[in-house]
Amino acid sequence: MKRKQRAADPFAAQIKALEPEHDQGVHEQLSDNEAAITGVFANCSDLVVRRLLIFGTIPAMIVYLDVLIDKQLWDDGFLEPLMQQEAIKDVSSSELYEVLQYRLSAIVQPSVVTGMKDIALRMVSGESVLFVESSARAFTFAVKDKLNRALEEPSTEAVIRGPRYGFIEKMDINLALIRHRLRTPRLKIEKVCAGSLSRTGIAIVYIEGIAEHSVVEEVKRRIAGIDMDSVLESGYIEELICDHPYSPFPVIQATQRPDMTTGSLIEGKVAVITDGSPMVLILPVTFWFGFQSAEDYYMKFMFATMLRWLRYLFAFFAMALPSIFIAITTFHQEMIPTSLTLSLAAAREVVPFPAIVEALIMEITFEALREAGIRLPRPVGQTISIVGALVIGQAAVQAGIISATIIIVVSITGISSFLIPNPGMSQAISIIRFPLMLLAATFGLYGLGIGLLAILVHLVNLRSFGVPYMNPVAPVSTSGLADTLIRAPWQLMRRRHKHSRD
Amino acid sequence: MNRVTIASRAVILLLILSMITACWDRREMDDLALIMGSGIDLTEDGLIEVSYQIALPTGIPSAVKSGGSQKQVVVISAKGNDLQEALGRIQAQMSRFIYFGHREIMLIGENCARHGLNQIQDLFTRYPETRFNSYVLTTYGGTAKEILNAPYPMELIPALAISKIQNSRLSFSVKLDKFLEAFSTPGISPVTAAIRIIHKGTDKESIVIDRAAVYQGNTLKGFIPPDELELLRWWIDDPYRLGFTMQIEPEDKNYKGTVSIKSSKSSVKIHSKIIDGRPEAKVNFRIVVKAVSNNTKLDLNNVKDRTFVEKKFAVHLHTKFIQMLNLVQKDLKTDIFGIGEDLHIEHPYVWKKIKDSWSELFPEIPVSIEVKVQIEQIGKTQGHSEIKK
Repeated sequence: MKRKQRAADPFAAQIKALEPEHDQGVHEQLSDNEAAITGVFANCSDLVVRRLLIFGTIPAMIVYLDVLIDKQLWDDGFLEPLMQQEAIKDVSSSELYEVLQYRLSAIVQPSVVTGMKDIALRMVSGESVLFVESSARAFTFAVKDKLNRALEEPSTEAVIRGPRYGFIEKMDINLALIRHRLRTPRLKIEKVCAGSLSRTGIAIVYIEGIAEHSVVEEVKRRIAGIDMDSVLESGYIEELICDHPYSPFPVIQATQRPDMTTGSLIEGKVAVITDGSPMVLILPVTFWFGFQSAEDYYMKFMFATMLRWLRYLFAFFAMALPSIFIAITTFHQEMIPTSLTLSLAAAREVVPFPAIVEALIMEITFEALREAGIRLPRPVGQTISIVGALVIGQAAVQAGIISATIIIVVSITGISSFLIPNPGMSQAISIIRFPLMLLAATFGLYGLGIGLLAILVHLVNLRSFGVPYMNPVAPVSTSGLADTLIRAPWQLMRRRHKHSRD
Repeated sequence: MNRVTIASRAVILLLILSMITACWDRREMDDLALIMGSGIDLTEDGLIEVSYQIALPTGIPSAVKSGGSQKQVVVISAKGNDLQEALGRIQAQMSRFIYFGHREIMLIGENCARHGLNQIQDLFTRYPETRFNSYVLTTYGGTAKEILNAPYPMELIPALAISKIQNSRLSFSVKLDKFLEAFSTPGISPVTAAIRIIHKGTDKESIVIDRAAVYQGNTLKGFIPPDELELLRWWIDDPYRLGFTMQIEPEDKNYKGTVSIKSSKSSVKIHSKIIDGRPEAKVNFRIVVKAVSNNTKLDLNNVKDRTFVEKKFAVHLHTKFIQMLNLVQKDLKTDIFGIGEDLHIEHPYVWKKIKDSWSELFPEIPVSIEVKVQIEQIGKTQGHSEIKK
């Protein structure tokens, strides 16, 4: 990957300077430790410092950030075993740790830390720290709050047949969803961290022996190269690590479906899970992957094949139908059947604008309505869509602003764009529509042909982590075609198709 | 190569591409005058008169408004010394651009056709928008302008009605490409359908295509009468569902004495021979038919009766073929059947010698005709409905 070194963030140095130097070790005195901690977490109202006597005799101090703690677990699993009034006589400090470890390990995972910086980092990720008097070591306990929501069906990528739940914002849960489906130690999960402020957890998931080692290494290398202070969504990563950030086509696919992710892992792809985002990145992907739905593999292969072709066809419509219409009606009228020509001409008779202006008005209105439909609060959205339908469908034609035929073209185009299962691919195709329309309006089918050729050249040039984007069609690979042109029955897909890198 | 270079190259490429497209022919649909049919006549003072039937989209009923009362077509004509001049005169008066892309029919006025089609043929072949699958018709006893002005109640646009009739495979039809091909091939003469107006001047005025116009070179020689059109269709056009009716027995009080047949399979084989340096042609007509009506005492289930009917039909058709052949060969003296072309294929060296004199030679050539009829299906009722068991 050739990318220019990003200019250093001017604030990075300041942020680093703001962070206190924590590299000092744990103090022997509880009061020194308290001073150090409160120094680091000054003005943090959620910091809790509690002094207590563990086992009734030993003075100790527990610090944690209140908002990150699961209170129930904290009381039952942590505090209660510590507070039991047992006479522990003549325990040296090393033995004390062993006792503590045995006592607590049933419920929480204790670990021993000695550095103050480490302690601060663990605290911000939700762990509690136990300091014991006259000891230069501290315990941390992971009683993290499971900040969860229920598993729900994703609103995009809906299916009729197949599992209903999708990924959520919590990485651990997402990983569990994958583990539940792949019960093998070969499923590897490597965690890394990105963003100097956000410290977002990123998990690179792959199956050892199936995923190509070079791809995994490349993913790790690129994620390590991310130089940003915050990574708030997987979209950041997608844009930062993809091969072609200036191409409209998605060379990394984002999905919300665990079954889709698992299926891709089995195909040898790599999944990148970002903490705080329900969208999981799958890479490397090909162009055709954008037209495949997880459901294709749950249905009968014949129907799935039909659906795939339907998607290819309508993807073409979504991309080129308005431009074909413009080209034919303004340059190549002889191509239209005579009776259709007459009715098209009749419909156009009252319209004041050229076909391209008409089409642009309608396409832009459609995109605006679509965007409004997403942004508007749900109860209002309904109203807007009705108003939109009336405005576009009826009133505009009757007012003589646009012709009825362009409505048909735009609606077919609009519906077509929703047939593409992958939202990224759908967006790419929607945006290509506009330059194609302009080309068609200036040069007719000739311009449209040039435009489509340019897109084709661009597509065969794309690489997703070294895999040709048009694979397996270009370069041709017969084993891959069985799952691209058709969805072959499982009996015939015995061999795993490997995307060859070049 | 950085991005700026790539982008500038793309822009330069696009600019070059836009330059090499020559003229910009972007035209909105509502700026076009859609010519549905055109006609060429020769006026008495020797001028060419061009008439166009132009569709009026405002008159076409659509979802938004129902056309109804408005006119669907308008016929515009202009005179000039040649076609291009007349065309220029029409265009000069029109708010919309004349567009030939949807011309379905081209009419040639009888006067014009008899005078010769040389300069018109040039326009047919030179004008890029001309459709080669539009139908060519010659008017019979009238001008092309009259035909274009004639109403046709069943269709919104009369020219489309003519085109649909021609397209039905049941009418004798010739498209422009075939017409021009016949023009340029020495061994075959052009022939077109002939159209005329019936019930002229009354409110039942309409058009009918019931003859064929026969050309020699570029001039019209004559017409083939309606009752021979079916035979002509069999011989040189599309022998689809040929139908013949014949008086088999004399009419009596119970039976009219006729049998009607429709073809299910048919073939024409032309074979030419050279005997003593003189070409001779033999044409074999084979037809497999179904009997669609039987108004005689005969029982077609009966082999004897059936053979009788088959023979009768063969003789009858043979006579009619000879009649048509005589008309074309002896009176009109033009080879619309393509016998010359068959000679060309079968005897190329002989053809080379006689090619130039073919039009003089053709009327003298003996052509023998053989017709064979076979009744294959006799319909659902099998026997005659009145035959007692």
